[in-house]
Amino acid sequence: MRIPFRSTPSAHWGNKWHVTLLLATTLLALAIASSIGAVPISWRDWLPPLHGENTGNSYVLWELRLPRTLLALLAGGMLGVAGALAQGLFRNPLADPGLLGVNSGAACAAALTIVFADSLPWGLPAGLRPWLLPLAAFAGALLVCFTLDRVARWITPGSIAGLLLTGIALNAIAVAVLGLCTYLSTDEQLRSLSFWTLGSLAGAGWTIVGVALLMLLMAIWQVRRLARAMNALALGEAAAAHIGIEVATLRSRTILIVALLVGATVAWCGMISFISLIAPHLVRTLHGSDQRRVLPLSIFVGGLLLLIADTLARTLATPAEIPVGIFTALLGGPFFLMLLNQTRERIG
Amino acid sequence: MNPATINLINQPLLVMESASLRLGRHHFGPYTLTLHAGERVAVLGPSGAGKTTLLKLASRELHHSGGHISLLGRDIRHYSLREMSRRRAVLAQTTHVAFGMQTELVVSLGRAALEIDPHLTTIVHNAMQLAHAAHLAGRKMDQLSGGEQARIHLARIFAQLWDIEQGLVMMDEPLAALDPGLQGELLDSMQSYAEARGHALLAILHDINQALHAFDRLLLVNNGQLESQVKADLHALPALQSLYGIHLGSLMTPDGQAVVYRKKNAALTARPQAHSHLNS
Repeated sequence: MRIPFRSTPSAHWGNKWHVTLLLATTLLALAIASSIGAVPISWRDWLPPLHGENTGNSYVLWELRLPRTLLALLAGGMLGVAGALAQGLFRNPLADPGLLGVNSGAACAAALTIVFADSLPWGLPAGLRPWLLPLAAFAGALLVCFTLDRVARWITPGSIAGLLLTGIALNAIAVAVLGLCTYLSTDEQLRSLSFWTLGSLAGAGWTIVGVALLMLLMAIWQVRRLARAMNALALGEAAAAHIGIEVATLRSRTILIVALLVGATVAWCGMISFISLIAPHLVRTLHGSDQRRVLPLSIFVGGLLLLIADTLARTLATPAEIPVGIFTALLGGPFFLMLLNQTRERIG
Repeated sequence: MNPATINLINQPLLVMESASLRLGRHHFGPYTLTLHAGERVAVLGPSGAGKTTLLKLASRELHHSGGHISLLGRDIRHYSLREMSRRRAVLAQTTHVAFGMQTELVVSLGRAALEIDPHLTTIVHNAMQLAHAAHLAGRKMDQLSGGEQARIHLARIFAQLWDIEQGLVMMDEPLAALDPGLQGELLDSMQSYAEARGHALLAILHDINQALHAFDRLLLVNNGQLESQVKADLHALPALQSLYGIHLGSLMTPDGQAVVYRKKNAALTARPQAHSHLNS
């Protein structure tokens, strides 16, 4: 006799207390981060500007600061879960989309669009223009993911060293193309190019926040269904197939989600490295390596990390602003070395 | 034969009809064999003879290029991976688990293809007990020794076909990483597990004595070919001698068990003698 009972992914989605605690922390961090900055914010400014008298500070909060902190949370979350997915797919904690060249692939495609879109013989309809950059970034990210998957499996099957070296080669190509774009660009294009290579959340607005939220929710919905199969993948592809997991489908779906998430964050915030490396690792250290926990928690941790990094980037040198990508790289570089030290016996 | 091995549908579990595979310059097969539910079959042969390839063909990890393979009368190419996983379990030679997962999670992955699995916790617990791995619960895979990891994977295989009858369990050197005491105990576990469910066992082994004591039939593989199939008793010695190119003798222990050993400095051409008796 069979009792209809789902061994649910949601049973492991973290128990209710943890989720409540995490949400509360996130909201608190959001409120604090939004209150700090060049312009002081009092509690009165938080009241929505109802009477049409939008004071300066309230405007700063609602139109500049809040979209930015929200985007930091969302983009960080997207990077965190993309990192967890890539690490699960390649079965290694060092398999970070940034290190493997996915970010630079997306940035490279975005740069090509910035420099060459105007000189295309056919004009684009104005309504499509805002979507051109995210689309190009997604295509670039997808191309790199696909190449990685194919080339690394073909040249050095199963070796993380081979995968990372392939990533270095792809990174080099992307940097070369970026350099070419810089060389050919006009002054105005050059300014937006440096935005892409350094990474910044200054371009945040409510539209982007809305789209980012939608994408993250879609990713969560997909990831919930993939989490169990991702666990099986930790046994290796052959063993995963033996226990009934359609590995090929899982691979292509994961690659698609990673490319979408990375492409979108690069299009909106430029290249922000190492969030995708650090967030899943922190989660695994604290909560074990069950993907049903790692994937959702990486969203929260990634979001909080990027929020902290961006708040520091905004406030440390007020009124000037340091690009956040520089911060995450300064933070992530040593972290990567530490991780390398932990896993050294398995590389080689 | 015990009652569980009487096949109700009365059709063989696994049938390979001249299944073959070409991998680069190497040619494997044709392999022809029939495996019935409840049978215990050991695959023997020198290293690099094609034993693992035979297992990979039967488990559909590799796709055969010629011939025909069917599971319960149905072409294995027509099974979905999920359906296959409910009919046969595979224990590979080595399985490296990424990220240092918890042992219970690894064991429960044996049943990952099931959407609805009400008895998961009980089955995982019982499977770990049967594989002598209950004391490893709560540990992480990357903190375990090779032998302990092997037991966790054996428990995962047990869990996979725990509530199935007449399934097929394929194992590639399941006992290689274990000490002699555990080898014996786990061999007993495998036998009782398979017997209770009518599962067939197909195992690659290197120990002739284990193969003779715990299995019904021996598949002798050499040079990518299935050289012969013999009953697992002392009459198999001549075939085993030519398979490994060594000379074998046998002794009878006081409790009536035959033990095979390798004879030193004996000419291979000599006919195998009738077994001498050990006087203790």
